[in-house]
Amino acid sequence: MTDAQVVKRAKYKSSVKDPGVRGILKMTRERFVFMPNDPTLPVRLNVEFRLIKGHKSSKEGSNRPALLNLTQDQGNYIFEFENFSDRELCRDFVAKAITSSGEVGGPTSEKAVPLKDEQLSSAEMERRIKLLQEDSELQKLHKQFVIGGVLSETEFWATRKKLLDVNASRKAKQRVGLKSDMIFNVKPSSDGQSNRVTFNLTPEMIHQIFAEKPAVRQAYLNFVPNKMTEKDFWTKYWRAQYLHSTKNIVAAAAEAAEDEELAVFLKQDAILASETRQKIRKVDPTLDMEADEGDDYTHIPGHGLAIETTKDEMEAQYEPYKRSFLQDINRHAAVVLEGRTVDVETGDTRSVAEALASSKRIELAKEASDGNVHQERLDRITRMAEIEDLQAPRDPPVAPLCIKDPRDYFDSQQVQLGGTRQVKSRLSTSEAYGSLRVYISEIRNIGLSDPIVKPEVAIKVFNVLTQNISSSKYQLGKNPHESILDTLPSVTKEELLLHWTSIQELLKHFWSSYPITTSYLYAKVSRLKDAMSQIYPKLQEIKESVQSDSRHQVSLLVQPMLQALDAAFAHYDLDQQKRSAKSGEKPNGYV
Amino acid sequence: MPQVRIIAKNFMDMVASLPAIKLDRLYENAFICEAILRSLPPLAKKYVLQLLYIDAPVTASSLQEWVLVDGASKHRVAVDRLIQLRVFTETVDRKKEASYKLNSMFQMNLRKHIVHGGVLPREPMAANITVRLPSLEELDSYASQQWECFLLHLINSAEVEVTTKSISPSMMKVFQRGLLSQRDNEGPRLTESGFQFLLMDTNAQLWYIVREYISNSEDRGVDSADLISFLLELSFHVTGEAYNMNTLSDIQRTTVKDLADLGLIKLQQGRKDSWFIPTKLATNLSISLSDASSRKQGYVVVETNFRLYAYSTSKLHCEILRLFARVEYQLPNLIVGSITKENLYKAFSNGITADQASIILFLQQNAHPRVAERVPSVPENVTDQVRLWESDLNRVEMTPAHFFDDFPSRDVFEAACDFAREYSSLLWEDSKKMRLIVKTEIYAHMKDFLSHQK
Amino acid sequence: MTPVSSKQYADDVSLLMVLIDTNPLFWSSTTTPFSFSKFLSQVLSFLNSILLLNQLNQVVVIATGFNSCDYIYDSSLGHANQRAEALLQKLEEFVIKDEELNKEDSVDGIGSSLLSGSLSMALCYIQRVFRSGSLHPQPRILCLHGSQDGPGQYVAIMNSIFSAQRSMVPIDSCVIGSQHSAFLQQASYITGGVYLKPQQLDGMFQYLTTVFATDLHSRSFLQLPKPVGVDFRASCFCHKNTIDMGYICSVCLSIFCKHHKKCSTCG
Repeated sequence: MTDAQVVKRAKYKSSVKDPGVRGILKMTRERFVFMPNDPTLPVRLNVEFRLIKGHKSSKEGSNRPALLNLTQDQGNYIFEFENFSDRELCRDFVAKAITSSGEVGGPTSEKAVPLKDEQLSSAEMERRIKLLQEDSELQKLHKQFVIGGVLSETEFWATRKKLLDVNASRKAKQRVGLKSDMIFNVKPSSDGQSNRVTFNLTPEMIHQIFAEKPAVRQAYLNFVPNKMTEKDFWTKYWRAQYLHSTKNIVAAAAEAAEDEELAVFLKQDAILASETRQKIRKVDPTLDMEADEGDDYTHIPGHGLAIETTKDEMEAQYEPYKRSFLQDINRHAAVVLEGRTVDVETGDTRSVAEALASSKRIELAKEASDGNVHQERLDRITRMAEIEDLQAPRDPPVAPLCIKDPRDYFDSQQVQLGGTRQVKSRLSTSEAYGSLRVYISEIRNIGLSDPIVKPEVAIKVFNVLTQNISSSKYQLGKNPHESILDTLPSVTKEELLLHWTSIQELLKHFWSSYPITTSYLYAKVSRLKDAMSQIYPKLQEIKESVQSDSRHQVSLLVQPMLQALDAAFAHYDLDQQKRSAKSGEKPNGYV
Repeated sequence: MPQVRIIAKNFMDMVASLPAIKLDRLYENAFICEAILRSLPPLAKKYVLQLLYIDAPVTASSLQEWVLVDGASKHRVAVDRLIQLRVFTETVDRKKEASYKLNSMFQMNLRKHIVHGGVLPREPMAANITVRLPSLEELDSYASQQWECFLLHLINSAEVEVTTKSISPSMMKVFQRGLLSQRDNEGPRLTESGFQFLLMDTNAQLWYIVREYISNSEDRGVDSADLISFLLELSFHVTGEAYNMNTLSDIQRTTVKDLADLGLIKLQQGRKDSWFIPTKLATNLSISLSDASSRKQGYVVVETNFRLYAYSTSKLHCEILRLFARVEYQLPNLIVGSITKENLYKAFSNGITADQASIILFLQQNAHPRVAERVPSVPENVTDQVRLWESDLNRVEMTPAHFFDDFPSRDVFEAACDFAREYSSLLWEDSKKMRLIVKTEIYAHMKDFLSHQK
Repeated sequence: MTPVSSKQYADDVSLLMVLIDTNPLFWSSTTTPFSFSKFLSQVLSFLNSILLLNQLNQVVVIATGFNSCDYIYDSSLGHANQRAEALLQKLEEFVIKDEELNKEDSVDGIGSSLLSGSLSMALCYIQRVFRSGSLHPQPRILCLHGSQDGPGQYVAIMNSIFSAQRSMVPIDSCVIGSQHSAFLQQASYITGGVYLKPQQLDGMFQYLTTVFATDLHSRSFLQLPKPVGVDFRASCFCHKNTIDMGYICSVCLSIFCKHHKKCSTCG
């Protein structure tokens, strides 16, 4: 589970038509709680997810409300979210919460098993059904075991989480980012007759302005609502913008001198500047900026953008009011790339400003807490610009392979062999060597035995070898693509394949239930064991039913299956014995 | 002129072509069995080995069983060779299933060999006898010198002063048969086959001579099988060891003397006994594998101006070059000559051809290592010119023919012409005077035809 | 007119390294089906026949003893006529030396001989031949092995096997003991050699000539016996037991039969 809880603003509605009550919806893994904004209202919910049977949601669309309907045995809860992304988040959370509460609840009682099937979300159910339809083999297995009662639905699917996940993950949860449009592209609309210029400000735009211009944000927090109203604030802001857009810097400076609040908007953003300084400090000190010069149009002043040359002769006093178009672009790009860092709905201007400011503060604090930044920087410089001859050799960050005693690795022949030797016969080595010498002198005296091999033996050996060769050639040579399976009648072949897959399925569940920690697992294992022992005789039957000429080959095929089953049985029995031995001490069974 | 093809077949091909009775007799000698086994293709060797202790015949299918698809042709070659050499005797039963059995004599000898290990044909000179034996290098140079001398003698018996020892003139005649052609009033000249002979590597030359020697043995009252077995035996001696002459039979002793002239054996006279020391030439006799060191190193450089430089001290080489080039200078280790039209005409008139297996090939094969790397090793303008000069000589083509005239009527003449044309043997006709010339081949048919016409 | 007329026959030249198991306990144990002298006579005849096949063939015999290994015969050194005699002489000397090295007076069971040592020696010899001359014989190793596997030699043997694989030297194995040898099965499997456990040991010569005499060139045309299955089990480093399942150090790939907190090999 990714998030332990989700908190969203939402309206609770008793029905779709109901205008609803505004409030905060808080979801944890087990339950969801709704608190109305107005504490006096009686609508206050605290519901466990266990009771929720399913959820529905309205279709995403521009005009429709973002609804989420949690269904219960009696009645349902409808929430309207402010936007669809919030709804999406909550819906996913609910889906997970429902399934997990189902799973947790599963093993506690046998009765819970059928129950929680219904608790599955319809989407989940659909996915499963679709999978079963697509894969006939899976369907066969499902039919055999789930409907046959060997495995429960959840158990069956638990081992196939991957399959489900793959499908689930197709729906990407992506946050809506910021628009890449720049605010000042929003042309002021003028009515043409009067000198009035009107700016239309949307929450989205405010958010963007705050994000891009920390100084404005700061000013907002400082001035509104103590010094001026929100409207005044924005009027001033746009006035500053307008002044800026006229490119009349002298006029701007004059106005700023009169109005100190306005000056804030016109001056260079101090917060931004400090941030930039911080960033530059983080740049790798060895980065050679000069090397990039001449790569592109960076050497052209203003990066190729036409700039009035007259501005170059600006007096120093106007310097703070100079703001390049380039800075704006860069800042905007940075903000857009950063994405929406705060999840505050954009309606409340103040909260947006606060949230943005706090997130920035956190970032800064984090950086500060990372340790002495300056020291680190120095370290880095020394490291990058190190003079190798003067530097003490630094250890590479990898752990070297150290073999304590190479003999352990390379010549391990002299190690104690005592354990492996058979205690069959104790032979005296001197006797053995003696007899060996006798053999050698024997052959030295007599010479090689003549004939070396008896012709009968020779031909026998030759024939055996030839037979061996021809038989292996027969098997290999017939058709390399044809396996033994294909030579069998199709009925037998299919039966074998079916058994093979079902054995695999059963074994997978069998081994995954070890170690047995709950009585539920214990019951499951014994169920599985019974199912497996039913397959066993079937395999034997197949083996005997085939014709004698292919029996050998079939038994070769069946052998690994039987071995796997035997291993499982052996483990089961062993475990059983241990258990019964233990149960003497703990008669109440299993923890 | 009877055409003697020189074939560089090895000894085993010759053995294989022996009549059955003689082959069977050969197998009585263990060394021959060994030599034959070694000459077999790898698969055949393996078959012999695995059937060595099997007395009963083994079916062909059981051998075939082991062979993969890729090896089927190798298997066939191996089995064919074994049957050809009578190592395998093939019996076909009623079901048409072939089965093989090893030649019992062959089998017995190999079994003996396997049990007792390789036994040398005779004991080498005991170490305690202090006689200075020639070193291997000395022996090698002795052998090649002797062999070269023999070759020189062979080609140019008239011109070369007789060296230390000489092979009996009758023997020489035998060897020269086919290699030299004697014309009425002139001295013997090298024929084309003679020239080819000179081009062969030493082992192949040796084989040619030895083969002639063996095939001629009957005339000298020596059994060829005995001779073959002795020669093969010789090849199992250790190079450079001295062996006592006393262990040899009379026939073998005379043979050894002959072989000594060829450079196969070096004779050494001790105080009491005389010894013979086999050289590399002798021990290589049964080796089917051609030893890399026996390959002659090239020595000829031909320039585009028809100049020819041969880095050689050998008189033989000089003689060979003299056959088709004018030798201009002879320095101690260098022969300078030039290829001229006159010399080539002389060579052509001896029957040496310019192309394949002759002059050009000789120049290519004996190219000096420095030029051998180049392609072509002999300049193209030289090779082309040599070919052109040769075709100059062949401007007139001779065709044996018959001349008919005096036809009774024009109809008969026309019919005769048509008849000859049908056989594409009409060479010339003169319809005015009613004369025609046809190839000799259809003379008889023509006569028949004309008699019917009448 | 072919200047190198018979080059085609030169492919079957082979260098055969024969490793003979001279574990005295194996040969004197009652379970061994036939005597060492019979074994030797068959092997010696086999060596003779290999040398008979091609005058350039070379045979080197290495004795795999209980305490040591040594070269006991090299056909490139001696004369053909005293072959068997020379080999037996050296073998006898080897056995005496091997006995001197022995410390324990009596040993339980058969024990295992130093296969790893003799395999390494064979590979060393082959490397020397490879590096010494331009002539490249086609080497192969034939293990005539009877005593059981020594799990303690596992690492050394596997290392030899892999170096044989790298230098393209097939290891043929002929198991004369009563049990299959997992080591040799793996050795032959990995290097592309032949693994065979003859059923009828008195016909050993026949097995040797029919199967193991096949030179590498001919092997591409012939079907040779294939083992039914190969025992790929490894031995653990801690107790030298052969195990089916175990723990492997992720750093040095040492194998253990029990879980250890720390790898005893690399720490």
